[in-house]
Amino acid sequence: MKKFLSILGTNSDYSTNRILLQFIQKHFADQADIEIFEIKHLPAFNKPEDKTAPQEVQKLADKIREADGVIISSPEYNHSVPAILKSTLEWLSYTNQALIDKPVMLTGASYGRLGSSRAQSHLRQMLDAPELKARIMPSSEFLIGYSLQAFDDNGTLKDQQKIEELEQIFNDFIHFVDITNQLVNANETHQKQAANFSWETN
Amino acid sequence: MKLVGIVGSNAEFSYNRILLNFIAKNFKKLVDVEVLDIKDVPMFNQSDDQTNSEVIQNLNNKIMQADGVIIATPEYNHSITSALQSVLEWLSFKIHPLDEKPVMIVGASYDVQGSSRSQLHLRQILDAPGVNAIVMPGNEFLLGEVYDAFDEDENLKDAQTAQFLETCIKKFIRFINVVKVIHAPEGMQDVSDTEDLYATGAIDTTVEGIDMSADDWLEQAAEATQAVEGNTYVKLNRGLLTVNQLNHFLNSMPAELTYADSNNQFLYYNHNMEKEDMLAGRRPEQVGSPLAECHPERVFSGVSWVIQQLRTGKQDVVRTQVPTHGPDKFVVHSYQAVRDDEDNYIGINEYVQDIQPIIDWYLEQTGQQLTGGGVDAVSGATSKVDTVAGATVKS
Ligand SMILES: Cc1cc2nc3c(=O)[nH]c(=O)nc-3n(C[C@H](O)[C@H](O)[C@H](O)COP(=O)(O)O)c2cc1C
Ligand SMILES: Cc1cc2nc3c(=O)[nH]c(=O)nc-3n(C[C@H](O)[C@H](O)[C@H](O)COP(=O)(O)O)c2cc1C
Repeated sequence: MKKFLSILGTNSDYSTNRILLQFIQKHFADQADIEIFEIKHLPAFNKPEDKTAPQEVQKLADKIREADGVIISSPEYNHSVPAILKSTLEWLSYTNQALIDKPVMLTGASYGRLGSSRAQSHLRQMLDAPELKARIMPSSEFLIGYSLQAFDDNGTLKDQQKIEELEQIFNDFIHFVDITNQLVNANETHQKQAANFSWETN
Repeated sequence: MKLVGIVGSNAEFSYNRILLNFIAKNFKKLVDVEVLDIKDVPMFNQSDDQTNSEVIQNLNNKIMQADGVIIATPEYNHSITSALQSVLEWLSFKIHPLDEKPVMIVGASYDVQGSSRSQLHLRQILDAPGVNAIVMPGNEFLLGEVYDAFDEDENLKDAQTAQFLETCIKKFIRFINVVKVIHAPEGMQDVSDTEDLYATGAIDTTVEGIDMSADDWLEQAAEATQAVEGNTYVKLNRGLLTVNQLNHFLNSMPAELTYADSNNQFLYYNHNMEKEDMLAGRRPEQVGSPLAECHPERVFSGVSWVIQQLRTGKQDVVRTQVPTHGPDKFVVHSYQAVRDDEDNYIGINEYVQDIQPIIDWYLEQTGQQLTGGGVDAVSGATSKVDTVAGATVKS
């Protein structure tokens, strides 16, 4: 059984992305053990002189390291990802770089038709930056448009076709995690190089 | 023109802050830039609305009152910082001060590419419907390897880079004017973008390197050019006068005379009265200023229209009557094109007169009387009067 950490990309009390992650957690319970991590308690990033991670950030990093893969679900704010998710990624890149080489799957929900697609493209570019260097599953992401209407009262996706699409992607992700982790282990030198990269000591 | 510069970083030490301070300091002749920090803005949270907090309201007010905004963005993980993102979320949630506001993006970062990716993200973010800013296209000012870009005095080391930055700022000033035209109320054609009222260019006679807005521009410029004064003789076409004689002669003219050059810089007026006593008030400290700083913004379009008439030769003189001086005066502003021997436009001679005493004298001498529409005979004012009325120096 795989162990995944899912990161909810918002600090909002009510979030359709949270409902989506809860649905994923429940729906795939027999294939993976999925924990949902809330980032709302993380302090705002401000490039502190001492590059040490605050406790909450370290906790997140430890959970990422322990997980076989990471699922990030992001809302779309102003065609990009919410500041709180950006801040989280800044902490990770600036301190422990826990996302390096970690297999990542992206999902997102938005109120409009496009289902946060523009936020996802920003998120991909960010995760590809040298201090993050996550292994994002290529050419697939799971997006939900009109997210306020997408779930029933039990938090189940209403659209059966959407559920099948999700199952397909999730299945791919399990394989992607296996392949990526093999590749990464076989290529430890690359990992060391990437891990040594820092903007501030260039 | 008033701009605010937003530091896109909340770090204690920020190169982007230095960059904005450099812009504010170095281009203060062109624009007035107030640099705003975002360090104290809380993390955006839609479940904890802090729109009414002092720090966000302060940003809101400053942006609303500004003619344009410069955002200096670092690059964090190929995007803008969470701190800047958070500010933009607050400013697109319950309030929208950036709506239709002209914005210029600059950025400094460690990478050689100098924030090119974050600038692209920022453009897309500013374009989102909740923000809806009007971002100046092109003119990307990217400052790469920024740790090496400034000297100890926080000036840009590379002169070419500073020069390019100046070009960008000047373009932004024009861009703001163009945006104003686009957003002017329908039906009223705004032509303020046809003239560089901020005198951002230079002509042969421009005294460079001196702050046009300085109160003592005249003293500084006179020193820089070693201008003659007092009892020194000046040879004129045709005659010989001392500077003193020339001054007294011009001061004895029955009109308030003003000279602005073809770069739209206010260079001279025959100063023989205090502002309060003049028909069109001028203060000694205004000499040297760009015309934009001598007029309220609402008349920029009218001022530009007049200058265009003269510059393009459509008219040699534009006259307008200013009726606010009461019934016993008839005050006419005449804007006369000044041309050189080759007939090139080199500036504007604005002379302001109360012609009522002359009319009275004429009537008395000839025994004639005015009948009916009366003043029509002397009012050369065209249908454009409304556009240019009020095109007087701001108090
Ligand atoms: C500041 C702000 C900006 C937003 N900008 C967008 C946007 O650009 N595109 C969009 O689809 N929804 C936007 N939204 C609306 C929703 O928050 C968004 O669709 C989100 O993905 C819903 O996710 P959630 O239910 O998990 O909070 C914005 C909301 C806020 C508060
Ligand atoms: C979390 C983090 C991520 C960064 N990512 C990038 C990057 O993707 N590209 C880049 O050129 N510099 C990057 N840098 C380095 C910044 O360019 C550098 O910190 C710069 O000084 C930021 O501008 P400021 O001094 O105005 O805060 C990063 C810095 C931090 C702290």
